[in-house]
Amino acid sequence: MDDQAPGDRSLETPLIQTQGLTKLYGRGSSVIRALDGVDLEIETGEFVAVIGASGSGKSTLMNLLGGLDKPDQGQIAIAGKSLAGMSKRALAYFRNETIGFVFQQFQLLPKKSALTNVRLPMQYRRPRLANELELARNSLDRVGLSDRVQHKPTELSGGQQQRVAIARALVGEPKLLLADEPTGALDSKTSADVMNLFVDLNRQGITIVLITHDKEVADYADRVITMRDGQIVEDRTQVGVR
Amino acid sequence: MRLPGLTTLGLAMGSLLERPFRTLLTMLGIVIGVAAVFAMLSIGEGTQKKILESIDSVQARTITVYPNWNNGRASQRRAWRPFTEQDVRDIQAIPGVYAATGELSSDYDVVSEMSDWRANVLGVDAAHLRANDLKMQRGRPITETEVERSDTVAVIGTSVVRSLFRGQDPIGERLKIQNIPFEVIGIVGETDAQNWRGQDSNNFILIPRPTARSRLFGDDRLVRNQVRAVKIVGENQGVLASIEREIDYILRRSRGLTADEAPDFRILNFAANRQAFAASQRTLSLLLATMGAVSLIVGGVGVMNIMLVSVTERTREIGLRMAIGARGSDILGQFLTEALLLSVLSGLLGLGLGYAVSQISLGTDDIEMVFSTRIALLSFGSALLVGVVFGFLPAQRASRLNPIEALRHE
Repeated sequence: MDDQAPGDRSLETPLIQTQGLTKLYGRGSSVIRALDGVDLEIETGEFVAVIGASGSGKSTLMNLLGGLDKPDQGQIAIAGKSLAGMSKRALAYFRNETIGFVFQQFQLLPKKSALTNVRLPMQYRRPRLANELELARNSLDRVGLSDRVQHKPTELSGGQQQRVAIARALVGEPKLLLADEPTGALDSKTSADVMNLFVDLNRQGITIVLITHDKEVADYADRVITMRDGQIVEDRTQVGVR
Repeated sequence: MRLPGLTTLGLAMGSLLERPFRTLLTMLGIVIGVAAVFAMLSIGEGTQKKILESIDSVQARTITVYPNWNNGRASQRRAWRPFTEQDVRDIQAIPGVYAATGELSSDYDVVSEMSDWRANVLGVDAAHLRANDLKMQRGRPITETEVERSDTVAVIGTSVVRSLFRGQDPIGERLKIQNIPFEVIGIVGETDAQNWRGQDSNNFILIPRPTARSRLFGDDRLVRNQVRAVKIVGENQGVLASIEREIDYILRRSRGLTADEAPDFRILNFAANRQAFAASQRTLSLLLATMGAVSLIVGGVGVMNIMLVSVTERTREIGLRMAIGARGSDILGQFLTEALLLSVLSGLLGLGLGYAVSQISLGTDDIEMVFSTRIALLSFGSALLVGVVFGFLPAQRASRLNPIEALRHE
């Protein structure tokens, strides 16, 4: 790392930069190379879909990009910060400030209101912000749920639940939205709604990396990266479904 | 670790309230433990206070001497031998004696103009009131002159006033014991001292001892001037031991016993009784302490168990919280706060229960309890300690979960 502040470089340096990224599972003769020397660059403002069969390494890639896991070899830098040497504590800060996660199973707290769920990441922001509630309301407004603020997840449809989850991912104004099979638990009509929301958010300038095994979902992205056996086998730019 | 913030506290409270029944059951062990610890400490303190209070009372300075039936071999056994007036006079002369009095007593049917009644008639000397810590309520006590002259005067207890004279003023009235008339000259103030036979301690009639001996008991043939017991009060606690040694010497001399022969009398020291009492209270305290400790440990294991279940149930929540930026210490804090909150609530309930139960047991005279903030804080603190000790393992387990695996947990 050089001495320059990351903010000065963010326009020139790619948001995501990996070099020879490798992740191994197991030990001895039964070692599986879940990721095998992945070099990848993603610019700010891109909408990227990572596609591949199960076991292709796409989830491992997402865990590494999100700072949930550490690589065994290679380099990874997000927004100019290298993740490889970070402590667990620093990684937690990093996730809180830089990444917004969207999961297949929504991962909402079932007994808490939409507002409380959306506000959750702000609980771990240091220093705490005074306008947490306002940010949470704005975030719910952004996903079109300003009339469901006090509803609990059980009182919401699957699509609405995923919107709450997306609002939660956005509340901390992350540099990168990481979505892992965000439509995996939704029917096709609802899936389309959620994907259109992603397209909208991307148009507003949010960088999105989406993991999926579904080609139709990948069609919404501008760039599709195909993985197999821990390696990138195809990386193409397309005009996403709009 | 930082103190839990309001958010963490609210979070913990919410999660406990989500399962009220489970929470209550989990708390039960600690509640009982704290109640027992609280009761134990209060009883300990009460015993201490009782001993301190009694240490300078007349009762605590009292030594009583009784003749003893000896249980040796038939060939060596002697007849039961009372003491004599000379023994009493010798004992009275021991340095450090505050009061010493001889006793000779028996129950008699007593008759007045209004009623009849059975009372304990005591043949006493002028030192009786002083040695028994008694005060006159009305009238006057028996004088030494009256004792010497074997007068037929009587000083009576309040129960006798009530029963024999139906509560009317008895002073100057007559009562008859064995058809011998006595003039009532005084009433002794109410006393709650324990009668050694567990009888009403105000149901007595005091008459001069020579009068009792010659006119009532009539058993002066065996030993002249006999006395059945001697009660001695020391000037302070410190002189009791030396008085006891003196008494032993005097009685052995007058009864012709050598120093190594088994005595045919018993010297009872009230302070020794107090020590026995204190020991029994200590046993009770120890029992409660054991119960408290066992209950706290069982309660703690209960807390640990429930917290482990809770961590397992909420694995995905933990994974999510970590993914969105919770540090290990945040998760540790969250679950530790929950365990602590459980113990705080249990501690409060335990104090309440301990207090309520002790209010009930306070009705019995044998247990004295003293409540203090210090005791409450100590028992409460034991609950907190249990919360931290037994809450730590589950909280630590939660804080060390791998977020990726936790999110995948079903």
